[in-house]
Amino acid sequence: MSSQTATGFFHIIRRELSQIAERPGLAFMLGPFPLLAMLLLAVVFAPGVPTNLPVAVVDQDGTSLSRQVVRMVDATSDVDVAKRVPTLAEGKDALISGEVYAVILIPDNMERDLLAGRSPELVTLYNNQLLSIGGIVARASTRAIGTFGSAVSAQILLSNGTLREDALNEIVPVPVQQNPLFNPALDYVQFLLSALGPAVIQIFITASAALSLSREAQREGGFREMLALGGSPLRSLLGKLAPYAFAYFVTLLAADAVLFGVFDMPFNGNFTLHLLNTFMFVCSCLCLGGFFGVLAGETIGALGFTGIVTGPAFGFSGISFPRITMNGFSWVWGALLPLTPYLQLRTDQVLRGAPIDISLPTLGWLSAQAVIYGLLLWGLVLLSGKRAEEVSS
Amino acid sequence: MMRFFADVIDALKDLFANKSARMTMVVSILIYACMYPQPYVGEIVRDVPMAIIDQDGSTASRELTRRLDATDGIKLTAVTSTLPEAERLFYERKVHGIVLIPTNFERDLLRGRFSPIAAYGDGSYFVLYNSFATAVSTVARNVGSEVRFARLTALGLDEGTANTLIAPVTSVTVPLFNPTGGYASYIVPAAFVLIIQQTLLMGISIIHAGQRSLGARKIFAAAVAYIGLYTVWVGVTQLLLPKVYGLPQLGDPLVLLALTLPFLIAVTAFGFALSQVVPTREAAIFFLVVQGIPLFFMTGIAWPIESILEPIRTIALAIPSTSAIPAFVRVDQMGASLSQVLPSVALQMALAVGYSLLAYLLLQQRRVQA
Repeated sequence: MSSQTATGFFHIIRRELSQIAERPGLAFMLGPFPLLAMLLLAVVFAPGVPTNLPVAVVDQDGTSLSRQVVRMVDATSDVDVAKRVPTLAEGKDALISGEVYAVILIPDNMERDLLAGRSPELVTLYNNQLLSIGGIVARASTRAIGTFGSAVSAQILLSNGTLREDALNEIVPVPVQQNPLFNPALDYVQFLLSALGPAVIQIFITASAALSLSREAQREGGFREMLALGGSPLRSLLGKLAPYAFAYFVTLLAADAVLFGVFDMPFNGNFTLHLLNTFMFVCSCLCLGGFFGVLAGETIGALGFTGIVTGPAFGFSGISFPRITMNGFSWVWGALLPLTPYLQLRTDQVLRGAPIDISLPTLGWLSAQAVIYGLLLWGLVLLSGKRAEEVSS
Repeated sequence: MMRFFADVIDALKDLFANKSARMTMVVSILIYACMYPQPYVGEIVRDVPMAIIDQDGSTASRELTRRLDATDGIKLTAVTSTLPEAERLFYERKVHGIVLIPTNFERDLLRGRFSPIAAYGDGSYFVLYNSFATAVSTVARNVGSEVRFARLTALGLDEGTANTLIAPVTSVTVPLFNPTGGYASYIVPAAFVLIIQQTLLMGISIIHAGQRSLGARKIFAAAVAYIGLYTVWVGVTQLLLPKVYGLPQLGDPLVLLALTLPFLIAVTAFGFALSQVVPTREAAIFFLVVQGIPLFFMTGIAWPIESILEPIRTIALAIPSTSAIPAFVRVDQMGASLSQVLPSVALQMALAVGYSLLAYLLLQQRRVQA
């Protein structure tokens, strides 16, 4: 870059910075506010794993064995027997009112039927409308009842002299060692919070660029002034977006610092790749946002575009509901959003510690987005610049 | 009365004449209605691709493999001989689960010993993990039960006693509501309550932020107009949308209305108060767009409220969506009666009164200043 062209670039940066400084609200959006939003989410997900989820028990049996079931359910870390109700109807009422996530029904004559070998049914009615919470509660209840069954089975075997003693070892002939790879504790901080932070910040990044460029387009002569000062469309754009690129790159890393520092989340991959990923993510979002800004030509519309595209982006990224199960439209739409490759690469490098060669295509995908959205933005600015000249001449 | 009615019509006309307001309060809701549910319409995960490492190569291990493949939850897509090979496929996202059957699996099983297998699920995607882990556990338990049954009967026990020993109790799980465990059924109805709130707040900011103050009657008329329009939107998103996408919908429309009105009054009043304190319309929209995700996770739909710190939980209740979203889900998807959501309805009413007062005071102040 020659000194003259560099001047144009720095002029634009200075102009953008003074525009930001004039708007304290905007300045607040660039760093403090995204971090506050991230901190709020962090506080929400701080426990990492849900524990002591309330359930209700209907103990129609009321025997020592049924009380043992209740104790064993209560003893799990996942659930907490918060309510004992006399009837199933009352249990369901508590579930619909949101007081409990499941009702465990121990039927009348449970102990008698068990001892008579009639294998009584212990029923867990769980709130599947709250899919993930309901699932946790149902699995915990099933496990506790299974443990109870094994204990009873062991007692019977012990009391029955005809059986070999090592029959005790046979209660679970094919035990499964479950190993959740990369996230052994199935911690929501590593799975969800780590992805939600960037999902919130991508809205800020895209909206900032959309606002910055739509403001120029909206203001009479603003576009011409911006192009003249920068010297060329490319330098003007670089100068305008550079302050945001820097601010959000730092913000994303600061949010990561919270995860790694405060939450002791492990970092398992290649840090250089993570930095590149973060940088390209910011670039891709800024180019996309800038494109919306010039396309809309006015601030409210630009933010409208941004909201519609970035608001639901997390759902399309495949973290909560996997991309392999999505329909064609969602798969393609998700592939166009910067958040999708960023979170995939983030999962690769932060959580999984994937080999670098496996992650490089994802970085290529994200970079291709940045290039395409950058070209679209650049082309649109060229076009708008020409139009502005025509109007003025 | 006729004048007031004319004012309401005028407010609606203003809304439709204002391009930004129309985009936000009408068009964007229609776009969201088409687009937002799309990632989730598959509802459930099935056939999670998995790799098997069969180090035993016996009849028993092949039978186990066949049964794993036969489940709904998983699908066998790769057979490898070593763990590193399977891990490579895992990193490439070609498989999301690995089952390892160790050497001597069959021999140990026949000799009446423990014969463990190892399952490696994908802890980076919980939905895939749950589908995989549940399928493997179920197959292993079933195979285990059959093995025990054969062993116990071989020891001379009659079938009944053997069954009692294997399963002294039967554990039955019954999903109440959302019986298929659909993901769209879980997320979409809740998310649309938030979309309703956010677009209504944005629309009010677009029309009223920084605007010269209107008379009290006109403002009241505008509020009635927005509440009327959004009552229709609640109907569309809570009654029509579930039908279109085949989601469960059990709610009584009257109970829904009893919840909708205080909710919309609270949001509208909140919107007018907000429009008086935000510096610009742009700031209002920016602020509201980025709040969507944090607000959603305060509601207890995706993350239990019991796990959220008490003070945060209490402060969050000041935002109408925090208590409205679970209440809407209970009414519309779980068929709750009015008495079962009464605390939430009462809270919405309190918020409606509180924000109306706040909006009134702020508007009054604006008028005094002007």
